[in-house]
Amino acid sequence: MMKKKILLATILFLLISGTSVWYYVFVYSKNHHREVANEKGIAVAAREIVKEFQLNEKVANEKYLNKAVVVAGEVSDVKTDQAGQTTVTLKSDDAFSNVFCTLKSGNSKPELGKTIRVKGICNGFLSDVVLNEAILENNPQ
Amino acid sequence: MKKLVVFCFVTSIFFSLQAQKIYATKTGQVSFNASSPIEKIAGVNNQVDSKMVDKSGQIVFSILIKSFKFENQLMEDHFNENYLESTKFPKADFKGFITNISTVDFTKDGKYPITVEGTLTIHGVSQKVSTQGTLVMSKGKPAISGVFKIKIKEYGVTGLYIGDKIANEAEITIDCKYE
Repeated sequence: MMKKKILLATILFLLISGTSVWYYVFVYSKNHHREVANEKGIAVAAREIVKEFQLNEKVANEKYLNKAVVVAGEVSDVKTDQAGQTTVTLKSDDAFSNVFCTLKSGNSKPELGKTIRVKGICNGFLSDVVLNEAILENNPQ
Repeated sequence: MKKLVVFCFVTSIFFSLQAQKIYATKTGQVSFNASSPIEKIAGVNNQVDSKMVDKSGQIVFSILIKSFKFENQLMEDHFNENYLESTKFPKADFKGFITNISTVDFTKDGKYPITVEGTLTIHGVSQKVSTQGTLVMSKGKPAISGVFKIKIKEYGVTGLYIGDKIANEAEITIDCKYE
């Protein structure tokens, strides 16, 4: 009798844990993506973050890579990428190296020449500092 | 006379510089697919930086690993942390040449088959690659597309599921529109 109970409890436990693992891996993770809006971002000016990456990419990566950042700067370019997402370039002091942001869908297109703040995940440094999954920040922090 | 020679020299340099054009994009698309029959493992990167020179056929692609987006967040995290180690190796790049660039007429719209050869660096490991692709000229703007396979382990990427849930070979698809 006791043995049967233990066996039953074990089976039930395995069933529940198996289902939860399956749910987490295949259902939850598909529907729940990292949301930059829920994260606190590191505030920095476009010209500063570009300078930091130019000065020492390794150190800057340690500071910013994969983190949410809020970059303030003047809009120098607005385009649409091949997937139809809006991209915004924020000006730095170096004409060849700026902050390049790909916005999440649902964001309005910012005006050229306006100073704005963009919050996104920092993916690293190519010729520009690259932000992805970004949103436009309206209210000053 | 001397002045004339210098003048001719300077103008010829000026024209030869003008004749060479660099096409570039910051929003090229590269997809990664290592799906096995058991699981779909595919990511898309829309932030690919690429430049191409029409005369020499020189071509470069620079890629941030963290820019690959997966349908499944857990897969994306594993791709970054356990396999590509994108904190340690944030970038991948390809540097090479379109070897038959002389067959491409950049002034004429059309579809041109191309051969690309060069060095691909992923996960800090460089390997020579050679592949076929297509260059399409449309309204004076080139676009490059191509598909090739890489053996994941050749790039020092190890991980529990390679050869099982993850295919041994990953398919890389390039689709870049230049300006």
